[in-house]
Amino acid sequence: MSFKEWFVKRSPLPEMWREHMAEYYAPKNFNIFYYAGSLLLLMVVLQFLSGFLVMAHYIPTARDAYDSVYGIMYDVHYGWLMQYMHVDGVSLIFILLYIHMARGMLYGSYRSPREIVWIIGYTTYLAFMAEAFFGYILPYSNLSYWAGTVITSLFKSIPFIGHWVTTLVRGGAGMSGDTLGRFTALHVTVVFLVIVGLIVFHILYLHKVGSNNPDGIEIKANKGPDGHPVDGIPFHPYYSVKDLFGFGVWLTIFAAIIFYAPTFHHIFLERTMSTPANPLKSLPDVTPPWYLSPFYAMLRAIPNKNGGIILMVVAVLFPFVLPWLDKNPVKSTRYRPITRIMLIIFFINFFVLAYLGEQPPLPKYFFPERLGAVIYVAFFVLLPLVSKFEPTRTPPARVRFRAH
Amino acid sequence: MKKYVVWAGMTLGLLANASGAFAADNGPKMLTPHYTYNAKTIIAGAKLFATDCMACHSIKFMRYEFLTQDLGMSKADVHKYIMLPTGSEFKGTMVSAMPINMAHKWFGLPPPDLSQMVRYKSQDWVYTYLLSFYRDPQRPSGWNNYVFPNVAMPDVLAPYGGIVNEHGKVLRAGDESPQKFKEQVTDIVAFLRFVSDPSVVQRDDDGPWVLGLLVLFTIFAYFLKKEYWKDVK
Amino acid sequence: MSDETQDNKHAPNVTRRRFLTALVTVSGAAVAGTIVVPMVKSLDPTAAAAALATTTIDLNPIEPGMQMVALWQEKPVIVVNRTPEMLATLDETAQKGLLKDPNCNVPQQPPYCKNKYRSRVPEWYVGIKICNHLCCIPHYRPKKASVAPWWLGGFHCPCHGSMYDLSARVIKGSPAPHNMAVPEYDIDVEKKSVVVTKMYPLAHLC
Ligand code: HEM
Ligand code: FES
Repeated sequence: MSFKEWFVKRSPLPEMWREHMAEYYAPKNFNIFYYAGSLLLLMVVLQFLSGFLVMAHYIPTARDAYDSVYGIMYDVHYGWLMQYMHVDGVSLIFILLYIHMARGMLYGSYRSPREIVWIIGYTTYLAFMAEAFFGYILPYSNLSYWAGTVITSLFKSIPFIGHWVTTLVRGGAGMSGDTLGRFTALHVTVVFLVIVGLIVFHILYLHKVGSNNPDGIEIKANKGPDGHPVDGIPFHPYYSVKDLFGFGVWLTIFAAIIFYAPTFHHIFLERTMSTPANPLKSLPDVTPPWYLSPFYAMLRAIPNKNGGIILMVVAVLFPFVLPWLDKNPVKSTRYRPITRIMLIIFFINFFVLAYLGEQPPLPKYFFPERLGAVIYVAFFVLLPLVSKFEPTRTPPARVRFRAH
Repeated sequence: MKKYVVWAGMTLGLLANASGAFAADNGPKMLTPHYTYNAKTIIAGAKLFATDCMACHSIKFMRYEFLTQDLGMSKADVHKYIMLPTGSEFKGTMVSAMPINMAHKWFGLPPPDLSQMVRYKSQDWVYTYLLSFYRDPQRPSGWNNYVFPNVAMPDVLAPYGGIVNEHGKVLRAGDESPQKFKEQVTDIVAFLRFVSDPSVVQRDDDGPWVLGLLVLFTIFAYFLKKEYWKDVK
Repeated sequence: MSDETQDNKHAPNVTRRRFLTALVTVSGAAVAGTIVVPMVKSLDPTAAAAALATTTIDLNPIEPGMQMVALWQEKPVIVVNRTPEMLATLDETAQKGLLKDPNCNVPQQPPYCKNKYRSRVPEWYVGIKICNHLCCIPHYRPKKASVAPWWLGGFHCPCHGSMYDLSARVIKGSPAPHNMAVPEYDIDVEKKSVVVTKMYPLAHLC
């Protein structure tokens, strides 16, 4: 008995390989948006590695946190590389998350039978928000301090137990070294493990029902004599080599940012991140990082504290019910022009809200912010109606694909 | 393929616009220093910084040895022009010799560490700030500043640049021509920009190699993908 | 479009695929290298640690016959001010054949300390006070007969009984295999100061 046989006999790996790679049949008509999923996996791995190495030099105390974080750049060999990988990686992950989700919305990937894939995915996105927020606090810069103060005080709005929750989260009346201790623990253990677990289930649930595609038709409905979908191709080698190419392009972009624009005009690494926490001096204006600012804009849109918070929470939670808001039998918006237009307006509106959320809190922005909030909510409210009555084109029987 | 080029173009365009849009800035109009960012300007700035600023300000994240490693200054020059004659270590950090309690007494607060000042405030801000001092007899130090009202710091560069009053009237001409003085301030800004991110040297050195390798990999992967996808009809 | 799936239509060009796979593998490995090498390097001692790497010890307070221990890079460095009588014991231990390595052939010390004193200047012994056996800290026992009737002075380890002479050369019958390590250092006898600069790379601490 060769070693290989000996090993294969007692290992689940060959079976897993077949199930998820060599014999996972995916539609052959994936377009460029379908790179985002595998790129997210790559980025999460890189984020883990760079995170491990910056953590090796980080000291979570109010006195030393800032100096230890900046010490990485000055005193650690290639510390700048680890740090910029970790900082810029966050923004790139959110770019990919938005592309990935927009793809799902454009082609109806959230629809039956992939509701759970969508829900697990969206939960991952929320977990990433939490992970990013905790990470944001760790350098204990002035931005960390005030962002932490503002965000944790949102918990005060929870009825009855708000005050207790806020103190629990902060580990005291205000931000302190104790806050850093628990946020560090959350950032590197609980939240990170939750993300990893969610990603695993995300993929398992997807592979159970199979991938959607830009035409939104089920390839499993049309199987060949060999029992495989006629429009499907094995993930390995076809999509594995394709994703390898995607890795190359994406890493080139990533490296270009790290080497030549590491702060990305201070969008990826804000200026106020470069001055130590100062409880006596609040920031000129506290704005969140770009990837959270659409929701922040909605928070500010309502001139009532709890009202704003409720709107923000609703806005964040709306996508969870998306699978049940869409009533049209056709999935892909390729064949639903009205929904497609609505979606495009929704995406542009999201960008505009992101821009508005970054602006100082001046009255001149209130109207656009409210308009943006209305458009955001209107999309979800109108979708059940529109999807029921909109005219559609008939999707083709087979996926559209031109051989290369 | 052409489709993707168009997409990439659009994305880049968006990002380019976004960078302006997201960096909201209001307040007094800032001047922009014009210079070439290289070892020469940075070293010139380092010398001025050591003589004129380091009496009060630390740049505690920097080490003297970085000036030799990153900028190619000789160890002897660092000793001669940059290091304090007393008690600083070559491998040590560049901290001011002024004791903190003296700072409290003289200025009411310790002068801030300037390691990340350019990254925090922008180089335009630092440049404009250094050029915006004026004589103000009302202030304890005798100085005030347009971009930082009621600043505690005196205009240490006045001997080079001269003294003006609130309305810009020259009270005493500087030892240097206005042209030369601006150059000096620019050099200090260049140095502080370097201090706020010394990795720039290594990034510029390694960047082309890493990017070249990645492009090569991408090209190979592209041909491999094309080859396999010939199967897919 | 036919209804068959791929594969059955044309024979793939296997050599070309192999060749391209090889190219992708090699360049992919290089890409992985550019990520992994800096990552491992980032765990090297930091510049801050390097700045603390040397220690200066003032010899003034150390009277003849006395010793002093300084902490250097989390390790105890011992400096002994040896009297002429103490130096004389170094010949005696060697002549009586008590030592495992009397001539210091194992490079437990920098070349400039490869002598019976195991030091740059005979009077001043500078060494790391860590037992070569399993890293305990031996006691300094300068008095004759303090450990055994034949004891001429030296170091005695409390853990498993390793014995060393006053140059920290290991005595036969000890579990420790080699003499105790001596770091690299500079000594200025006039200014009475020692600067410990770094570990001697060939020496085994324990
Ligand atoms: C780090 C986070 C995530 C990772 C690593 C990840 C990974 C993946 C991967 C590898 C795939 C299969 C390849 C593909 O179809 O692109 C996939 C599919 C999918 N993901 Fe995610 N994903 C993440 C987050 C999300 C989020 C936030 C959502 C939505 C809210 C989401 C929704 C979906 C859906 C609906 C599919 C199926 C797409 C289809 O079949 O058309 N994922 N994901
Ligand atoms: S450690 Fe010293 S004898 Fe074992």
